[in-house]
Amino acid sequence: MRGWIILLAVVVVLAAAPLGLPLFMMTLLTEALILGLMAMSLDLMVGYTRLVSFGHAAAYGLGAYSAGYILLHSDTPVLFAVFIAAAMTGIVAIAAAWVFTLATGVSFAMLTLAFAQLLYAIAFQWQQVTGGSDGLAGIPRRGGPFGFDLLTSKIGYYYLVLLCLFGAYLFCRTLVNSPFGAVLRGIRENENKTRALGYNTRAYKIGVVAIAYALGGLAGALYAPFAGFTNTELLFWLFSGQALIMVIVGGAGTLIGPILGAALFLLAQHQLSSVTETWAIYFGLMFIAVVLFLPEGIWGTLMQRLGRKTQRV
Amino acid sequence: MKRFRGLTRRGVLKGAAAGAAATLAAPAFLRETMAQATGPIKIGIPCALTGTFAAVGQVTKRGAEFFAKERNAKGGILGRPIELLIEDTQGNPANCVRKAQEMVERHNCRLITGVTVSSEALALVPKLEEWNTIFMSSINGDGRLTAASFVPNFFRANTSGPMGARAISLFLRESKMQKFFALGMDYAWGHNSVQVFETELKNASKEFIGKVFSPSGTKDFSTYITKIRQSGADGVYLVLAADDNNAFLSQAHQYRLAERMTMLAEQLELVSVKAVGEAAIGLTASSRYPFTLENPANAAFVAAFQKEHGEVPDQFDGEAYHGLAVLAQGIEKAKSIEAEPLRKAMEGMVHDGIKGKVTMRACDHQGEQRGYVVQVAKTDKLPHPTLNILKTYGADQITPPCNKMTYDN
Repeated sequence: MRGWIILLAVVVVLAAAPLGLPLFMMTLLTEALILGLMAMSLDLMVGYTRLVSFGHAAAYGLGAYSAGYILLHSDTPVLFAVFIAAAMTGIVAIAAAWVFTLATGVSFAMLTLAFAQLLYAIAFQWQQVTGGSDGLAGIPRRGGPFGFDLLTSKIGYYYLVLLCLFGAYLFCRTLVNSPFGAVLRGIRENENKTRALGYNTRAYKIGVVAIAYALGGLAGALYAPFAGFTNTELLFWLFSGQALIMVIVGGAGTLIGPILGAALFLLAQHQLSSVTETWAIYFGLMFIAVVLFLPEGIWGTLMQRLGRKTQRV
Repeated sequence: MKRFRGLTRRGVLKGAAAGAAATLAAPAFLRETMAQATGPIKIGIPCALTGTFAAVGQVTKRGAEFFAKERNAKGGILGRPIELLIEDTQGNPANCVRKAQEMVERHNCRLITGVTVSSEALALVPKLEEWNTIFMSSINGDGRLTAASFVPNFFRANTSGPMGARAISLFLRESKMQKFFALGMDYAWGHNSVQVFETELKNASKEFIGKVFSPSGTKDFSTYITKIRQSGADGVYLVLAADDNNAFLSQAHQYRLAERMTMLAEQLELVSVKAVGEAAIGLTASSRYPFTLENPANAAFVAAFQKEHGEVPDQFDGEAYHGLAVLAQGIEKAKSIEAEPLRKAMEGMVHDGIKGKVTMRACDHQGEQRGYVVQVAKTDKLPHPTLNILKTYGADQITPPCNKMTYDN
């Protein structure tokens, strides 16, 4: 019950944000929510199934390029374009996951990295479709029928992103609390045992990868019309690493934590780089501090403390 | 016990409410509402201060700061001081758009210049209309910025990539060399310049035997150098910048590439010459701004710059300074920093400054200017090699036709 009240309060605050925040803060907040959605999708794999991915940029980039291409080359309204792009990413991920799940552990992580780098190379080379190293620029935020024109404005688009994140959160929360989620946790704790219980663990793993990629693709698809461009950086391994940092800093296996981690990451990167040119050092130190002193991540530790307090009472 | 729990929940709610109130109230209080009709003139410079292109970004920053200091000492522009907003983008388009957006939306800045990488510029230009902002390029070489990707709020004071390639190819027309190979950085500017060079060679009935592209940030050029050596070309055309250029030049020196063929560069920074020293001697390049230009404005600039920094200005010191000087002249002419009057004032405006006479033509906002081919040579006057101007080409020979990045021969 308490969880729901907090959640409701957060959503109300976020929904009211445009009333009080200056324009640029809204831009930053929109980007933070998009990154949050991406980090949360990765958490399904890392936090709940212990499928560590070094290539989640693949999901984000694929979603971004798909949405960008659709918006540039057709009259599809932005609302449909982002969901089509997310679905496409999910479908591609089923095939990719079939390959990933041939391996486990570090090899699995390496395969995800290889897939992302493959997409990176394709994006670089396939000039006609991806624009090569320049990427796709001038991606429109096209409105459409049924009052979707609201989405073309900054605030309208912010609400779309907020709704997508909220919807995805509810979906993920339901998923991890469902029998499907129980099997995922079973795989996390002991895959052999879960298999011995009669579950086809590989099918579950393919399922969770496809869902995680589809949601990551949704985040990327939301990013393309938000920023107005895509480029190969979105598919680069550096970005995959940053996604993992967001999950770890926020707290893996908490869903909320990674969203928080993503927001903190973006804010820290943005603010620190305006203060000092050696911002990367401070950033690294902060990350090390979190890993050493808050091994459960910020949100994970916070929840543990709160949980302990309630128990004591 | 229930009481405690109730209190806790209420506490949580109170906290949330307080947080909401703080979120809503604080920014409104902090918000900048003053329109930029008075006070300092803010000019945004989102450039790569770190990363592969840091060398270019740092020099841009230095040149721009020098301009602002000099100009502010003389009373600024329209009697208002210049305030530079310099932010690090790491050469990444996503960061560049975010930083520029912050300058526009948060700091109410309507003038942008000094963007380092062409892919950053290409990501920015579609936003200019929405932001009602003028973007004066002082570095970006990609020909498309004044062709297919041209937008009315974009101006280019600098020599573009195609113009650099054109100067070199005009120079080659007079030489005996026949066969050429090209190495470019694998992004917008590299591809664009190599493409123009290739077309130009064909027009000059020379042979183009191959090209190769290295990703930005390449440290080891040995495979590329081997490829270039094996090509059997008379000359190799290089489209490299910053760290990549340094790495290539020093490795090419080790492989004695210069003994096999002539090295020709699309642009050359002094910082590379300083970094590789002897290895750069003999290198022929198209230069966007060689500090050795002979005109009174440049002589004064170089002297003042040397006094301030203890060294001569580099190519992008000059370009950043030049870009700001053109912008400042436009603002004085328009008596405004609003996009529309400023745009009208700069269209067709003639600027006479450190690069000589430059006309900001109205059709595609490219600055028509001369092109220079320089050679790195030893000198006793400086602690590093100097740039001797071998050949100067007129603006009519160098500037491409309107909205184009290729030449009609």
